[in-house]
Amino acid sequence: MITTQLNRKTFLLASALLAGGLGLGLQAAQAADPLYLPNVVELSGPGAVSGTNWRDGIILAVEEINAKGGILGRKIELENLDTQSDAGISRAQMQKVLDKNPYVVLGPVFSGSVLVDMALTSQAEVPEIMGGEAAAITQKGSKYIFRTAFGQQSSIPKLANYFRDGLKAKTVAVVWVNNDFGKGGRDNFIKEMAARDIKVVADISTESGQADFSADVVKVKGANADAIFVYTNEEESARFLKEARKQGIKTPLIGETTLLGQKVIDLAGDAANGVKGHVGLSADAPIPAVQEFAKKFKARFNYVNDHNGIKGYIAVYMIKAVTEKTGKFDSKLFASTLHGMTIKPEQEPGILMEATWDANGDIDRASFLAEIVDNKQKIVEILPKLNK
Amino acid sequence: MIDFLTSRGFKIFFALFIAALLITAPFYLRNFGLYLIAMWLVISVAALGLNLTLGYAGQVSMAQGAFVGIGAYVTGLMTLAGVPWPVAFLCSGLLCFVIGWVLGYPALRVQHHYLAFVTLAFSTLVFLLMRNEEWLTKGIYGLTDVPRPILFGWNTGKAFDFYFFVLGVVTLLSLGVWWIIRSPWGRAFVALRENPVRALSLGVDTRRYTLMAFAMGSAIGGFAGALYAPLVQFFEPNSFALPLSLNLLLMVIVGGGGTFFGPFIGAATAVLLPEWLRIAQGYYLIIYAIVVMVLMLFCPTGIMGLGDRFISHFRQKRISAERAEKAKDMSQQEGK
Repeated sequence: MITTQLNRKTFLLASALLAGGLGLGLQAAQAADPLYLPNVVELSGPGAVSGTNWRDGIILAVEEINAKGGILGRKIELENLDTQSDAGISRAQMQKVLDKNPYVVLGPVFSGSVLVDMALTSQAEVPEIMGGEAAAITQKGSKYIFRTAFGQQSSIPKLANYFRDGLKAKTVAVVWVNNDFGKGGRDNFIKEMAARDIKVVADISTESGQADFSADVVKVKGANADAIFVYTNEEESARFLKEARKQGIKTPLIGETTLLGQKVIDLAGDAANGVKGHVGLSADAPIPAVQEFAKKFKARFNYVNDHNGIKGYIAVYMIKAVTEKTGKFDSKLFASTLHGMTIKPEQEPGILMEATWDANGDIDRASFLAEIVDNKQKIVEILPKLNK
Repeated sequence: MIDFLTSRGFKIFFALFIAALLITAPFYLRNFGLYLIAMWLVISVAALGLNLTLGYAGQVSMAQGAFVGIGAYVTGLMTLAGVPWPVAFLCSGLLCFVIGWVLGYPALRVQHHYLAFVTLAFSTLVFLLMRNEEWLTKGIYGLTDVPRPILFGWNTGKAFDFYFFVLGVVTLLSLGVWWIIRSPWGRAFVALRENPVRALSLGVDTRRYTLMAFAMGSAIGGFAGALYAPLVQFFEPNSFALPLSLNLLLMVIVGGGGTFFGPFIGAATAVLLPEWLRIAQGYYLIIYAIVVMVLMLFCPTGIMGLGDRFISHFRQKRISAERAEKAKDMSQQEGK
């Protein structure tokens, strides 16, 4: 009898231990499972400059996080997928990664592609952290889209204030690229100018991939505005600046982030000197963490990053900060937690600058007024967070 | 072996095998795989249309992408306004037929690369209209949330259902094209390509048939667009800019212009091959470009032409061997 009882006790104990052990084993296996992180981005075509920066920023962050043991013990397994800067291919690639049930997806940078992809991520209820800046992205009501940089509806008003207060401009000429990025910026800018009683005397649309800007510069010159707002992609910006200098334009050339970006400085050379504007993110920001990041980036990839590099880097640290807060890998919980969340560099150094996300996924963060001096971006003023 | 490969029985067996593969595909593929195959089918239809214009009638058109765009916008705008998909589908084809007919007029005056320039200009014009006429096309932001059709209570909203819907429509369209090619029209198109003067002397109305080839090819492009719109659901003018037209041209040439299955193989090369080559990471587009260049270098008649060459090579070899055997027998008999 005693033997039977003992046997039963031993059996129960053994079973409990076995079950517990298995459970722990399973948990350990889960914890050790790599965390699949897809990045759908422009690695060829017109968006390759921005996309490559974004990807390399991500690679740098992933390597750092993995070297320290990953997120909640799970190492990140990154997959980069090229969209060829085409919205259709981007949609197909996003579908492909969503079939693998990812926790979060990264990219793209081109707003047109984001607008196409976000319907899929919203349907699949998977958070998408992306680099697009078109205002329309966060106005579609998706609960799963998050910015890494200002949307145009946040950055353009800051710039518009500079036209009114800094430049004291009464008239302005606008040169913009006719794609979803340029059109969104132009529409917001015209609206903000009207609100500040500044007259738009020339509204010049240019093409993506345009090589010759001589006719556009002639038109800008003829408009005789107090300032010129240039809102095109990197390579086109550089070509425009070169042509503007060639034709001897002395009017202030003002831009938003892209026009003052490193790639534009590299391509335009001396023609970029004197350009001023608002910069959402900058490797030259007088913030030690950002400068430290720029050094690491240069050492790892042997080129100077632009704002897209920073965007990619903080995208991964956003995942780390939110996941460590929630304590689990739950996509829906991730999205609801990040809405209204503020991440400070004291909590997560990889975030570089304090940032807050609102209910639409828009970001609020300090930004800068900058000028290009001697082929380098010089920060003139730090603008505080909007809601501070 | 060659006899077996070219026999009617094998062709039927092969067609049934492909059909079985396409029907069973959804059961072992996930959403992305279904999307990719549906995209291949839709793009194949657009290439089928161009094949009629270019492959059979010999008219170089760089506007097929624009016709796909017109079809997609017509269907997108109409279905978003609540019009049933079949009506929108027919309107897309009809409008493209009319525009193709009108665009065909320059084709009567210019040939070859001059015609290519005319169609190139048309393609750019259509892109600019799509982008700049915001009141109609919503401009650069494009159309979003294009609904998938509901036919007789069958909701094709899910990837699985929509795949079968596309498969059905593409099969019907392909049969239609098959019929056109084998009809007197198809024969007249080939005559037009091979020797227009002779065709005219034989009583073929070359003017009418050139216009017809253009209009039919364009209408099929429009039908492809009508399928493209609910497939991708979100599109913008850039999707139908010149690269699509060039890509379709590439598909017809790589697949084998003037053959019925050429466009399907060409579309597979353009849609599926880059996807399979993605394992080569950053080099996939370079490898793809090299594959296409090598193919064109060694086989200007396309993949279908390669198959034909392969078969005729072996056939020739066998005939020569048989001849040699016969000659040997005869000489032996003479020796006796």
